[in-house]
Amino acid sequence: MQSLEKTQTRSDGGVSMKSAMPWIFSAVMLVLMPFIFQSNSAITIMNQMAITIVFALSYNMLLGQGGMLSFGHAVYMGVGGFVCVHVMNWEIFGSIPLPLLPLLGGVFGMILASMVGYFSTRKAGTVFAMISLGVGELIAACSVIIVVFFGGEEGVSGDRTYGMPFFGVEFLSQIEVYYLTAGWLLISALLMYLFSRTPIGRMANAVRDNPERAEFLGYSSRWVRYNSFVAAGFFAGIAGGLFAINYEILTEENLNLTTSGSILLVTFLGGVGVFFGPVVGAIVFTLLQTVLSLETEIWSLYVGALFVATVMFFPSGLAGVMQLHIAPIKLGTWRLLVMPYIITLVPAIICILGLSGLIELLFHARHTAIGETEMTLFWVTFQHTEILPWVVFAVKAVVGFWLARKNAPQMMDAWHRANKPDGADT
Amino acid sequence: MDLILVNLIDGLVTGLLLFMLSAGLTLIFSMMGVLNFAHASFYMLGAYFAYQISIYLGFWMGLLIAPLLVGIVGAAVERYGLRRVHQYGHVPELIFTFGLALLIEELVKFIWGNDQIPYQIPEILEGAAFSISSYDIPAYKVFMIFLSLGIFAGLLFVMTRTRVGMIIQAALSYPRTVEALGHNVPLVFMGVFGVGTALAGVAGVIAGPVLSTFPGMAFVLGSIVFVTIVIGGLGSLGGALVAALIIGWMTTFAKAYNIRMEDILTGVGFTKPEPIWDSAWADLWTLTSPQIADILPYLLMILILVFRPYGLFGKRDV
Amino acid sequence: MTAALEIQGLRKSFGQTEIIRGIDLSIGRGERHAIIGPNGAGKSTLFNLITARFPPSSGSISLHGRNLQGLAPYQINRLGLSRSFQITNIFPKMSVFENVRCALLWAQGYRYSFWNMVSRSRALTEGAEAILDQINLLQRRDLPAGVLSYAEQRALEIGITIAGGADVIMLDEPTAGMSHSETDYIVGLIRTVTEGKTLVMVEHDMGVVFGLADRISVLVYGEIIATGKPADVRANARVQEAYLGAALEADH
Repeated sequence: MQSLEKTQTRSDGGVSMKSAMPWIFSAVMLVLMPFIFQSNSAITIMNQMAITIVFALSYNMLLGQGGMLSFGHAVYMGVGGFVCVHVMNWEIFGSIPLPLLPLLGGVFGMILASMVGYFSTRKAGTVFAMISLGVGELIAACSVIIVVFFGGEEGVSGDRTYGMPFFGVEFLSQIEVYYLTAGWLLISALLMYLFSRTPIGRMANAVRDNPERAEFLGYSSRWVRYNSFVAAGFFAGIAGGLFAINYEILTEENLNLTTSGSILLVTFLGGVGVFFGPVVGAIVFTLLQTVLSLETEIWSLYVGALFVATVMFFPSGLAGVMQLHIAPIKLGTWRLLVMPYIITLVPAIICILGLSGLIELLFHARHTAIGETEMTLFWVTFQHTEILPWVVFAVKAVVGFWLARKNAPQMMDAWHRANKPDGADT
Repeated sequence: MDLILVNLIDGLVTGLLLFMLSAGLTLIFSMMGVLNFAHASFYMLGAYFAYQISIYLGFWMGLLIAPLLVGIVGAAVERYGLRRVHQYGHVPELIFTFGLALLIEELVKFIWGNDQIPYQIPEILEGAAFSISSYDIPAYKVFMIFLSLGIFAGLLFVMTRTRVGMIIQAALSYPRTVEALGHNVPLVFMGVFGVGTALAGVAGVIAGPVLSTFPGMAFVLGSIVFVTIVIGGLGSLGGALVAALIIGWMTTFAKAYNIRMEDILTGVGFTKPEPIWDSAWADLWTLTSPQIADILPYLLMILILVFRPYGLFGKRDV
Repeated sequence: MTAALEIQGLRKSFGQTEIIRGIDLSIGRGERHAIIGPNGAGKSTLFNLITARFPPSSGSISLHGRNLQGLAPYQINRLGLSRSFQITNIFPKMSVFENVRCALLWAQGYRYSFWNMVSRSRALTEGAEAILDQINLLQRRDLPAGVLSYAEQRALEIGITIAGGADVIMLDEPTAGMSHSETDYIVGLIRTVTEGKTLVMVEHDMGVVFGLADRISVLVYGEIIATGKPADVRANARVQEAYLGAALEADH
């Protein structure tokens, strides 16, 4: 145990070069990204990712930090966004520089959250989840009724270029919008991170773990939760403002259960226990959504399956899985893992590819128009009526599964050994 | 008067259907403490399974077999999925059932496609059973009422008069004690989950032809079911029935009678702004009861949660 | 002089069953008071009533002369009363250091602040380290509290309880489930950290009780049948009959 103690980072350290590194690195990456991926569609995807990251991080203030499961978080982003789009349509917009707009979204998201949170944060757990669901559905349903604010079926749209030019920039091009979005992303993420390091942030964790105990530390669990809720609403509103700037239109879709549900999926997939978990989740999900959807019609089936698999087998999310590897890397025992990983995970990947091939074949066979039998998968074109593709995929699936199953114990064993400080056998 | 009667029947149909869905959900919650987000998905599976079976064996065989299939799927989900996630706590359980709902919807789309499928009322039940003045009461609706009432009666009988029912009631409150007495509590859990989902399946089988069978049907009904059991009180079957009926009648009457906000406001003394579409209050003035009919249950739920968190008849805290 | 804790006519019923049947108790400042009694006597219920986990059916509880009626647990805590729990109640996912630091936040006046960084505050860090030193967990400071051994967790529990500077400390069976050596260690710890404070504790271990307490109250079926110095209580016939008889023989 001794050397493991030494290798663990001090969690109470102040700002140091070491803790600032990830942020500096991220800032640099954000600046450089458009030079690496230069196409317009890439920039669009990056903008989408950035907005989703801010939204997901704000959601994790509730779920991961506060232990509050909300099914209605989209309304704070939505309302913030709607306010921003409305402002875009007003005369006064000419004297407001666009970069300040998300702040307005944040303020209104916060106002809504402070009203709803007053009732919903009395208890955590199921009551909170149900109230959040009710409020979310209520506001989403109201959106077709309160046409004045929500624009009814067509939503509300605006034009971001009518704002006051910011140092000469009118935000006509995607790349200008990208840097604005990236800037806000960095600021918001940093603020949310720092929030978790403040007294209220620390107590939010305590209340999550043990609300009763927290009371005997002098803190009202209810008010701690309330503060987290309002702060989460603020940052969701900022995400809404960024959305308004990017897409210049907000509709009922931004408020509904589907959006609230998808941010839950994104955050959980990434991992709720680590600050950067939602970042990972947002990036992976956006990639799946944009890139995978081009390859297959049933990408959402894969996402759904991935989500369920995450909940069942690695509930700490992708970030959690990544974190598991910190110990072996620090101890230098990661080399022990390489071979077992290869012999277990490669067959597993082959199995998954085989299965997905079969699924795609099935889908194609069942749902395409009669007569259309040609399909392309993994860069090979074939007819779904041919026997060969079926056999090939089936074989891949079965063999991959069998090999992975056979080698899995070896991987588990290597894992155990890698986690021992001296790499000794059990 | 006649219109009231017709709406009462309509509301009753909706209410009883909602009850069938909520009964299973509230039972599962009582027993296992998990709110099954995917409950409405089993309802959807019921409709789809029944459709598939009815193609080969007719509607009635579908009615008989589909709920059983759904129950088996439900039991399997409990045994292999939920039980595994249970160890992580309530929040992961909720998230799991949520993911399950997503997955089931995708699977349904995968197998049967995105469009509505032609699951139809059997010929023998088409047409009107009787009329109240000029309104025809469809025979199918009468059938739905009788079937739902029959199931409710059966459920009540099993829960209060049989040994199995007693064991379930005991396990609802003191699972450990029941286990210590030698009963296989995990098996009871699996059974309750299976029966609960089978009930949802039955609701799907009979609702499918009238409410239309399409991949989004679970989603549409999903949150209303939660609202119902929260209003009725988690764990209370009677509460679920009362809440379901209230919601059924509330939404039916709101939709049937076009109560306009305009009339209320002018009645109180406000004057309507002209032209109406320029005014910022346009939405308020043009508000009609059919518009807000679907929101009313949510409003009621929020009021209940704020002022009476136990729900109408709940014993446990939500 | 006002008593630290004054209980008058306290009653509590759950439905038809009356658990606490009228308790009058006065605990002075700086006193070490133990509450003992057979299982089911209502000791935990009494604790929960004092700390406002649920309201009494009738009667009053005063802390330093201040009536506690209607106050929430966190408000009572802010008035200077802190408690530990029978089942270890720490924050398992946070590090040991963080556990203690959180206990200091309110006491050091941070309230719901979101504009200070806790890591910047020397007062917090040094305060937490001082307490960790007292409970001998300084070496384990960065481990998640959940991985500590049972006795260490109980020690941490005590550390969290006293960290906030409360002057009335209530400990609910602090040595439950411990071996002899662990018990001795915890008793020594309790003695040190509650120096100068008022201590109220529920205990089953007679050795602990007689070694630590200035006065003892015996709770049987929701009533206190005897209060007084350990030697007097030990000699009390009623008490011996109700409770101590078998335990005394076993221990000594």
